[in-house]
Amino acid sequence: MIRLDGVTKRYANGHQGLTEVSLTVHRGEFVFLVGPSGAGKSTLIRLLYGEERPTQGEVTIDHFRLKKLNMRQLPRLRRQLGIVFQDVKLLPTRTVFQNVAFAMEVVGASRKDIMKRVPQVLELVGLSRRRDHFPNELSGGEQQRVGIARALVNQPSYVVADEPTGNLDPDTAAEIMKLFQEINRRGATVVMATHAKDLVNQLQKRVVAIEGGRIVRDEARGAYGYES
Amino acid sequence: MSLNSIGYLFREAGRSLSRNSWMALASISTVTISLFVLAVFVVVSVNVNHVTTILQNQVEMRVFIKPKVPRSEEMAILHQAQHWPQVRRIDFFTKQQAAQNLKSEFPDQSGLFQVISKSNPLFDGLDVYTKAPQQIPVLAARFSRMPAVHNVVYQGMVVKRLTRLGHILKWTGWIVEGLLGVATLLIIVNTIRLAVFARRREIQVMRLVGATDWFIRWPFIMEGLTIGLVGAVVADVVIGVGYRWVLNRASVSLPFWPMAAWHPVVVETTVFTVAGGLAVGAVASIIALRRFLKV
Repeated sequence: MIRLDGVTKRYANGHQGLTEVSLTVHRGEFVFLVGPSGAGKSTLIRLLYGEERPTQGEVTIDHFRLKKLNMRQLPRLRRQLGIVFQDVKLLPTRTVFQNVAFAMEVVGASRKDIMKRVPQVLELVGLSRRRDHFPNELSGGEQQRVGIARALVNQPSYVVADEPTGNLDPDTAAEIMKLFQEINRRGATVVMATHAKDLVNQLQKRVVAIEGGRIVRDEARGAYGYES
Repeated sequence: MSLNSIGYLFREAGRSLSRNSWMALASISTVTISLFVLAVFVVVSVNVNHVTTILQNQVEMRVFIKPKVPRSEEMAILHQAQHWPQVRRIDFFTKQQAAQNLKSEFPDQSGLFQVISKSNPLFDGLDVYTKAPQQIPVLAARFSRMPAVHNVVYQGMVVKRLTRLGHILKWTGWIVEGLLGVATLLIIVNTIRLAVFARRREIQVMRLVGATDWFIRWPFIMEGLTIGLVGAVVADVVIGVGYRWVLNRASVSLPFWPMAAWHPVVVETTVFTVAGGLAVGAVASIIALRRFLKV
């Protein structure tokens, strides 16, 4: 379970990213974060994976309390999370397979587990044929699939995505969104900040709208609700 | 840390060193040069200590008797001193014998011996051997108080001077090494920083997927240690070969000079250089990581 309790995030330069935000996401949910640029969606996502710490209030993910999370606990939290970015962050000198395997290597997985698990996730994201290609040989959509495979390979309970379809054309974005649905169907909790209006409307999932650092709307089977 | 991670560690350190091979080469050569200087100091110190020890073990003292003292008085001193408890053995020599000895020790200096044989400026004297080296100063003082004695020469003075030289060498060595150490440290810090910079994307991804801080740091520390160790090994090889060469040359041109043997010297330099190399490598990587990986 993810819980935000009266969370305020003020940056060192005085900018207030979030103000008194409270939100609960249960296991297995699929939540869209929507709102204009600069509303605080990214701040919220970054709080979830411990890149930012709340100024006031508390963020809790399972038993992790993020406000005072120490440097030993942060890696443990991150192993429960799969993080997907708009700018994928693939390693250009490694192949698709190596990029995904890297995430397992650095948490100390065995060669045997890596050889077994990586092909499974590549199969899931539909990139089995591309395993030995380098990122620059892939389309934007394929690159994002590699990013998703990397996020999933350590079997996280939560998948956190910051505009994963932001750089993609509508058809590709729809494909990626289907993939997230599939991930959610297999049991992972998904929290996604997005501007993809049509897809949000189409999927009929919970929608949390943020404006000026506050939650202004939280609907169980919501719509995007903004003119994009 | 699991076995998988250890394999990963060595792969990453090797990958990073080969990727920045020029920078790695630069730092390894700096380490080598600093450690070579260190090793030279060690070699010289060991040799000075070696000579000091040899001289300390030669329990000998020479008492010179004033000119014009009659032979009978000289003999009286000899017989008197033979009964002193510290004396193991005592030999009388005349100034003619002293001249002969000199001639056999330096056979090439024929001009000097012509002068000596005309009017011998040397003294009659006594060669005194003590039972233990620490008795030398006591005995020397006792001889010096005798009115017929001109002066007393014993190795103790030489030993004292050599010991002081040894101290000076040691301190000079530490200061020079300190300065070289700082320079070496800075070069390695830079090398590691470049390595961190070259791998910043990897580091970012590692942190996001939950690699621990030490897992991220270890390859860089390994890299620093490797640079230090390789530098030490190169310096040791150079010193080992070089000292063997010096020993060979010395046996030809300084046959009576007591040089410290090859094996103990090289063991000593190896201990110092390997310890120094590893220390500077470890400290440098930790400094580099402190400034770069604020994790």
